[in-house]
Amino acid sequence: MFSQRDEQRFSHRGLWQLIGIPLAASTPEQVKASVKRDQKFADDVAILNIALGLEHQAIAAYNLGAESKLLSTDQLKIAISFRNDHRQHRDVLLKYIKRFGGTPVEPKSRYDFGALTSAADILKLAHALETGAAGAYLANAYRLQSTEIINAAVPILVDEVRHTTVFRQLLGLSVTERLKV
Amino acid sequence: MNTEELKALVSGGPSRRAVLKYLAAAAGAGAVGYLLNGRLRPVLGQSVDGDAGILTAALYLEHEAIAAYQAGVESKLLSEAAGKIAVAFQSDHKYHRDGISGAIRTLGGEPIEPEKRYRFGHIQTERDVLRLARRLEKGAVDAYATLAANIQNRDVLNFGAQALTDEVRHLTVLNSVLGFVNY
Repeated sequence: MFSQRDEQRFSHRGLWQLIGIPLAASTPEQVKASVKRDQKFADDVAILNIALGLEHQAIAAYNLGAESKLLSTDQLKIAISFRNDHRQHRDVLLKYIKRFGGTPVEPKSRYDFGALTSAADILKLAHALETGAAGAYLANAYRLQSTEIINAAVPILVDEVRHTTVFRQLLGLSVTERLKV
Repeated sequence: MNTEELKALVSGGPSRRAVLKYLAAAAGAGAVGYLLNGRLRPVLGQSVDGDAGILTAALYLEHEAIAAYQAGVESKLLSEAAGKIAVAFQSDHKYHRDGISGAIRTLGGEPIEPEKRYRFGHIQTERDVLRLARRLEKGAVDAYATLAANIQNRDVLNFGAQALTDEVRHLTVLNSVLGFVNY
């Protein structure tokens, strides 16, 4: 399950540091090992930060949709539920970015989603964002090195694909085609 | 699961029970076990020849799904719309089967064959077929999601992520058709 690759990367002591349990003493070797570990996962953290940017964007879009008064009761339920999923993703990503020594990106002060004048506009926007997010996770999954981060990212990918499939159904798009990345 | 069982799983002739035990071991002994005592390896022996074990478990589930959709299509119980979905989803599972089989060969293994016969229980209505499909798709989602982080080879992980994506789409559609909420 955990390969030599992981074992080389994580010292047992390093793992405890990763999960936030302070250690009594830090020798220069340990500090050096810790820096190496962070650098080794720098690419993972960069990917997580891109994902975090997409989560911020999705939350903003769903907020806009929910406040627009354009959605039906059922559509609103979906929008709120999916927004909550994205909030949870955001929190998970924040946690891992910080844990691995990164600085999480902030949401933009404003997003330009174009003119949204109907429920269909909102559904199309949500579909585009969800498909983009699913594609981003899918395209980058194999680049992730940390087992821990992969485990955190997989349930997020599962949610994004569920979301995009729901919107495909609502918009009358094919659900028998494979997601194109 | 001990080493002998793992060898049996990889070398062919696995039962559904062996596959499920494998998945349960992988899920239960994940990061938690490692974090607690750093002694994960004994739980899964030599990681079941690495990716080959994971791929073999996945291949078992793909064979099973293909057979289930085949049984559904041949049952004549499906409406035209449901039949189209079944054929399309079965085609995805065939694609996964072929990709996984190729990956196992690349890794020096021999892909397992489907079982001669599957027991899917009483299938008397379209809903029975769809419920069976949903149950298997859900199992596949859980399996891929659980095992993804254990995959070593990046190409295999990439393929697994794509298969997972298909299984989630299938599950979401079947949920809708059966009246389960997706949110």
